[in-house]
Amino acid sequence: MSLETRLSANNTSIRIMVEEKFDFGKVHDFRDAYTNLPDSVNEVIIDLADTEYMDSSALGMLLNMQKALNEKVTTFKITNSRPQVAKILKISRFDKKFDLS
Amino acid sequence: MRILIVDDDSLTRFLLVHMLEEAGYTDCYEADCGNEAIQLAEKIKPDLVLLDVLMPDMDGYEVAPILKKMSGDIYLPIIFITALDDQEDLAKCLEVGGDDFAPKPFDRIILMAKIRAHSRTRLLSIRASHQNQELEYFRNGVEREHSIVEHIFSNALKTNKKVSKYFDYRLTPASNFNGDLFLTEPSPSGGLYFLMGDFTGHGLASAIGALPVAKAFQAMTQKGVSIPEMAATINDTLLSLLPGDMFFAAIIGEIGSDGTKITIFNGGMPDMILISPDGTLKKRFASLHMALGILDNIEFEDDSEHYDADIGDRLIGYSDGVIELTNDEEKMLGEDAVMNWLHHEPVIKINELVAKLDIFRGAAEQQDDITLVSYTCQSLKSLVLDNQISQLPFNIDITLDTEKLKNTDPITDLVNMIASQKGTEGIRSALSTIISELYNNALDHGILLLDSNIKKEPDGFFDYFEMRMERLSELSYGEVRIRVSLDPNTKLLTLVMKDSGKGFSYDTIMAGKETDCFGRGVSLVREICDSIEYSDGGSRVCVKLKL
Repeated sequence: MSLETRLSANNTSIRIMVEEKFDFGKVHDFRDAYTNLPDSVNEVIIDLADTEYMDSSALGMLLNMQKALNEKVTTFKITNSRPQVAKILKISRFDKKFDLS
Repeated sequence: MRILIVDDDSLTRFLLVHMLEEAGYTDCYEADCGNEAIQLAEKIKPDLVLLDVLMPDMDGYEVAPILKKMSGDIYLPIIFITALDDQEDLAKCLEVGGDDFAPKPFDRIILMAKIRAHSRTRLLSIRASHQNQELEYFRNGVEREHSIVEHIFSNALKTNKKVSKYFDYRLTPASNFNGDLFLTEPSPSGGLYFLMGDFTGHGLASAIGALPVAKAFQAMTQKGVSIPEMAATINDTLLSLLPGDMFFAAIIGEIGSDGTKITIFNGGMPDMILISPDGTLKKRFASLHMALGILDNIEFEDDSEHYDADIGDRLIGYSDGVIELTNDEEKMLGEDAVMNWLHHEPVIKINELVAKLDIFRGAAEQQDDITLVSYTCQSLKSLVLDNQISQLPFNIDITLDTEKLKNTDPITDLVNMIASQKGTEGIRSALSTIISELYNNALDHGILLLDSNIKKEPDGFFDYFEMRMERLSELSYGEVRIRVSLDPNTKLLTLVMKDSGKGFSYDTIMAGKETDCFGRGVSLVREICDSIEYSDGGSRVCVKLKL
């Protein structure tokens, strides 16, 4: 099952909706969500509204994504994290590399 | 038109009946004395009575009031038939309830004109009576509906007393039903959520939106949803429910278990303010958004504001009914007046503020719902302790053999098993992460002997994933044993995981670099739980987690 993505109206921003569990099982789905993006995309928003938990491999996958897209994407946002998930991002100091809101 | 003719003289009756029939009034009844008239009237319910004055048993003066009484609220015209010409006798006819005279000998044209005039009045009276009945019926219906709705509202919008005791608040509706809303619920991870809002207008129509909002809010607080998500969900719900001209200005807030970490979403409400105990304004949470129920998904923005307050600081919010309160000189209270009061009396109680509002308003009528909410920053630890933990100690002991390691993903099931116990819902997310980390380490490094350094390569994550699948399918022997126990007295959850492998270098894994895509697991678990201890060279790990 691939992840839901939403491209903004002007094709510059993509929102990736992560599901309930964000762990190693999502490694392919997550990569598929950000490969072959239109060249116009310069912002990636990871929406964790539905995510109940994430583990360290999810953190790795996020960093992987950033490495892969670094050349054309300028803003990486992680949004709608629930408190527990936000705590994991904070512990891992992800605020340094991602725009956490 | 049913006419009753009462006269002891049969010739007069004959004459009248004939005259009436000629004029088209064919529904006529005759009575030859007072008693018969009363009995007949009861049966046939006449629309008009032609009544003789002088009769042998009862005279017309006696009969008229009785007939009038029988007719109740509806006008029954009584026209006296009379040969009298004494003015006093004629006056008496009217005094006892008569409405008109028909002097003998009868003038056909005048008599018919009189009958038509009185029947018009009678018709009006009947119509009015019907309308009164309908009105009464309607009023009863509305009252009944209101009492049902009030019942539902009072149940649906019941504030959670465990949490609401941390607030000093007051809701004053302008009518029976409140278009303003204040809700608060505990957060499963400690701390609390609150919502204060104001639907367009006031009264029942605006209160009705409170039901879906309350239900959505309660469901989301139980799950520990983030403030932006809550705002977006409520916006979505209202957008699909409310008519276009109705919306919901709202502040949705979360306060951490330390009682000072404040997160606020403000959509269309007056500024929520934070003041220190000496009355200094520390922070304004201004409205950054439109009210909820207007913008669709794509346009809607859900940014919230964070602030770290200090113990003793006071967070105060109010609906626009407060600052738009108008006195009898048509002057509005305004925000400055409220700020001034709070500046001079920073610890003023909400009911004292309400008293000030009442004084300002004077004799003017309250036009809009008024809501005031105040929270003084204090530790919310006792809110966490209220979390009832199952008093039964329990152990879960699971051994995953080779077959199970290959074919199952035990993490979700195990988490569900533990989190189904009373009082453990709050650690669900943390538990998921912990078990996921430990299990993956045990399986990947302990049993499958995978090397995390593979992940360093550009496509390392996927190579690693493929290799994991491959080695797992070829695995000839492996076993992971997981034991979980809860001690209700110490509220300590202990999880021990032992795998059949030779262990792995957990200490080097713990020292991953910040830029690496891997090696965060163990240190992450260390942060989330209360203690973590590896033994047997890394093949056994014990984690303790306080509920």
